[in-house]
Amino acid sequence: MLRLPVVSRSLFPAALTKGGAAATNNVRTAATATAAAPNLLEVFVDGNPVMVEPGTTVLQACEKVGMQIPRFCYHERLSVAGNCRMCLVEIEKVPKPVAACAMPVMKGWNILTNSDKTRKAREGVMEFLLANHPLDCPICDQGGECDLQDQSMQFGSDRSRFTESKRAVEDKNIGPLIKTIMTRCIQCTRCVRFASEIAGVEELGTTGRGNDLQIGTYVEKMFMSELSGNVIDICPVGALTSKPYAFTARPWETRKTETIDVLDAVGSNIVVSTRGGEVMRVLPRLNEDINEEWISDKTRFAYDGLKRQRLTQTMVKNESGQLVATTWEDALTRVAGALQGVEGNDVAAVVGGLVDAEALISLKDLLNRFNSDTLCTEEAFPMAGAGSDLRSNYLLNTGIAGIEEADLLLLVGTNPRYEAPLFNARIRKGWLHNELQVALVGKEVDLSYTHDHLGESATVLQEIASGTHPFSQVLAKAKRPVVVVGSSCLQREDGAAIMAAVSTIAQNARVSSGVEETWKVLNVLHRVASQVAALDLGYKPGVEAIRKNPPKLLFLLGADAGCITRQDLPKDSFIIYQGHHGDVGAPMADIILPGAAYTEKCSTYVNTEGRAQQTKVAVTAPGMAREDWRIIRAISELAGVTLPYDTLDEVRDRLAEVSPNLVRYDDVEEANYFKQANELSKVSCYLTPAYPISRASQTMAKCVKAVTEGAQAVDEPAIC
Amino acid sequence: MASNTAARAAVGAAKVVRPIFSRDLDEAKRRVRELYRAWYREVPNTVTTFQLDITTRQGRDKVREMFDKNKHVTDPRVIDMLVIKGKMELQETIHVWKQKTHIMRYFHETEEARPADFLSKFYRGHDP
Amino acid sequence: MAASLVRFVRGGLGRSYNIARTSCLLQQQTRLQSSTTDTQPTVRPKDAVTHNQLAAFGEYVSEMMPKYIQQVQVTCFNELEVMIHPDGVIPVLTFLRDHTNAQFRNMIDLTAVDIPTRQNRFEIVYNLLSLRYNTRIRIKTYTDELTPVDSAVTVHKAANWYEREVWDMYGVFFANHPDLRRILTDYGFEGHPFRKDFPLSGYVEVRYDDEVKRVVAEPVELSQEFRKFDLNTPWEVFPAYREPKEAAPKLEAGDAPEKK
Repeated sequence: MLRLPVVSRSLFPAALTKGGAAATNNVRTAATATAAAPNLLEVFVDGNPVMVEPGTTVLQACEKVGMQIPRFCYHERLSVAGNCRMCLVEIEKVPKPVAACAMPVMKGWNILTNSDKTRKAREGVMEFLLANHPLDCPICDQGGECDLQDQSMQFGSDRSRFTESKRAVEDKNIGPLIKTIMTRCIQCTRCVRFASEIAGVEELGTTGRGNDLQIGTYVEKMFMSELSGNVIDICPVGALTSKPYAFTARPWETRKTETIDVLDAVGSNIVVSTRGGEVMRVLPRLNEDINEEWISDKTRFAYDGLKRQRLTQTMVKNESGQLVATTWEDALTRVAGALQGVEGNDVAAVVGGLVDAEALISLKDLLNRFNSDTLCTEEAFPMAGAGSDLRSNYLLNTGIAGIEEADLLLLVGTNPRYEAPLFNARIRKGWLHNELQVALVGKEVDLSYTHDHLGESATVLQEIASGTHPFSQVLAKAKRPVVVVGSSCLQREDGAAIMAAVSTIAQNARVSSGVEETWKVLNVLHRVASQVAALDLGYKPGVEAIRKNPPKLLFLLGADAGCITRQDLPKDSFIIYQGHHGDVGAPMADIILPGAAYTEKCSTYVNTEGRAQQTKVAVTAPGMAREDWRIIRAISELAGVTLPYDTLDEVRDRLAEVSPNLVRYDDVEEANYFKQANELSKVSCYLTPAYPISRASQTMAKCVKAVTEGAQAVDEPAIC
Repeated sequence: MASNTAARAAVGAAKVVRPIFSRDLDEAKRRVRELYRAWYREVPNTVTTFQLDITTRQGRDKVREMFDKNKHVTDPRVIDMLVIKGKMELQETIHVWKQKTHIMRYFHETEEARPADFLSKFYRGHDP
Repeated sequence: MAASLVRFVRGGLGRSYNIARTSCLLQQQTRLQSSTTDTQPTVRPKDAVTHNQLAAFGEYVSEMMPKYIQQVQVTCFNELEVMIHPDGVIPVLTFLRDHTNAQFRNMIDLTAVDIPTRQNRFEIVYNLLSLRYNTRIRIKTYTDELTPVDSAVTVHKAANWYEREVWDMYGVFFANHPDLRRILTDYGFEGHPFRKDFPLSGYVEVRYDDEVKRVVAEPVELSQEFRKFDLNTPWEVFPAYREPKEAAPKLEAGDAPEKK
């Protein structure tokens, strides 16, 4: 079995600078290259002069003047393969057409992007590609967004002289997410390069030669990567398509809403495609600071959970203990009545992991009107010492993109591959291109890069903190150290001790490395999207306060982790559940108020870096569901303590009053007070952390089954 | 001859706009008054011919309301255009080309008022 | 790829002895050889004679009425188009109807085009037919929402209902029309539906109301999602390679027609 691009740590950076992918692949490398070699080359694109750095490829030089060269195998974020030959261009006084993606420019070259010879070369390549490509565009899911379709319209011949038979390739079963129709494959090897370079799983490769070249896994096995869905996007033809999306919609009939993902704390930028009030699929959106152009499989495929187990009606528990549907008027009046009967510490609230900042602030305002400040989040966070008072204590301060610059990374009690797959992809990028060294304290996990496992117990941390552990020497030598502590290990009893130790390690590393003030060492990697906003707004992390002092009235706002159960509360206590899925929280409630999920509301979320972002409305909420802050606002009016906001803008003004960073969208608010201040489920990434949306998703359930029992377990009869 | 666009631009810049009927505002106002008078006289006939469940007074109030809706207009050409359309409506009414439903459309009887306060908006639906 | 090349060559050799396929293959062969030079085999052939005739007639008309005719052009489908100033509708139509060499006595169609980006957003189009000479001509003029155009009813009786239609659909007022009123829309309908700024769904929807026992009109509320298609992207991924569109050749009045 042959793996096309040979990627190894020692080879790759050299290949990168030589190949000239530096300019787009790694901005920092390119920047240093400019500083080192200011002698630019002058080349001409169709006679127009352009100054480029030495080592730039012909394709990049053309891109610089806005001339796109057609390509299939070349991808900005992957290594250069140069095997599709679509990018052939003529260069004046060069005898043969050259592959623009792989050829570095020479001084004074005149690149002819639209000459007769170039066009003839493209037409010829296109004819050969189409020779073995089936003409099944009408039933192909890529139709309408297919590079081959587009480019054959633009550059191909307008008639066929093909009379022979076509090659056919057997389809592969690589899991419940990706559908393969390998006859359509044009062997660009983008997927192979993605798997080995970005995802870090060496599972895809090529077999055979010439006409018999095939992409596959050689032996039948699942493409086990948490980023596997991205090969659907990078595949230029319909060879790799989405299984859940198969035959459901066409790209031109869907509406695209640019929004963000909230299923992990990274806050990936996504595009939600909808048709007729239904989410058809989720695609990534470019954001260099967060997710580049990838998204995790959970983000991409959990959308079918938005249609299942939804709460669509207001419900109240009747005398016999059954939940029965009712109207908003009735439900809200009951809630308001219950609220008016209690005061102070008798009323409390727990918020879950998917709640937006608008709902958080209105719930806080509502409970404050009743003299209660028992507002808790499900995720715990140690409150000893500075706790959540200092913002720098609970953020991923380095930033997701900042990891690329680090040279030493200590992961504490976290498995970024499952908790934040895109953060993990960044770590791998740093490991691959920037000699990043990774060490792990906590349960040994399979990461997509080599790392030193230092131990599982918290005592290792104490040793590193005190300098007695051998790793302390390594840490002391690091120039740009980063320590990342996962919020999952802070859930434990000794969370405070871990946090204290990590804090000490970070402070020591900071001093020993002598790095400048703007470099952040201590980082917290959260698991849930709402946590940072909740802490910013002054929520108490963890439900300890409620356990110690059980309230008479408990308001669950999307709390589905099961931290508080009926047993923790007095018999006569009254529970209100507000949320969008009938999961753990809803069955124990006395009143259920249906809320909107993240694709159905315009709301604010703050990711683990402290970056405030907005979701947008892609579809309307099902049934009687309403936006969360509106429900709380309506309750407040009926309870006689009307909150002073009627519109979204007014809520955001209130947010700005409490915490101005929450409305500065797409901006990371820096936090700078460092001086003053685990049990991982091994099932799969698809269900961690446990979320109502991913739990309701059939696709995710299939993934878990496929991971645990093998891809054959979920094999469906092939439709085409 | 100058090219097409150039000629049009020149025309637009140099020529005074061609009036529809009225040369100035006073003339336009006179036409509006004429139309109003005609409508005013027609209302009782309309009420009887169409067997409307309204009084003449209500009809005349509605006519006034419709005229008042455009009282901010000062461009004689726009006024003329509105008068032309009003005359056509009047003609349709006098000749009983219209039916009861068309006349009663002016009164918006069945339309529900859009909710204004937060709670009724909330009960009504997703959109504010 | 080498294999398919071999196959291709074999296919080429096959031509010599397969007589049944010879004719189509010969065609193919010629096409292959001349693929660089002969780029438009499927395009309708140019008819230079008709084109020159029309161009000459257009020249003649614009010389006769230089005051009103701004431009004359012959489209790629050999249709003569005459752009005139709105004041010249009556004289030009009369001239074309009555002149011995024109005899455009039939008005085939009269319509309008709304182009909101233009200063005069409406283009009024008259299509005329001369049975005497078996030829057609298209007159175009322009106006905006408030400028009246002279009615052509005095010249062509057929213009009556066409102008009512244009009034109803676009709101262009025709001065001196004998009976200008709505023709297609319902009584009480507001707005002009063919204007580009008129929403596709309209403003009101009608239903029968049981309480008031008649049809009522209410502001439109669509229960079904409006289906909008994204038609921009598919074939426009490489804008740099877009070929410029050929504009219709203009015939400026006063240019000596070099053909003939």
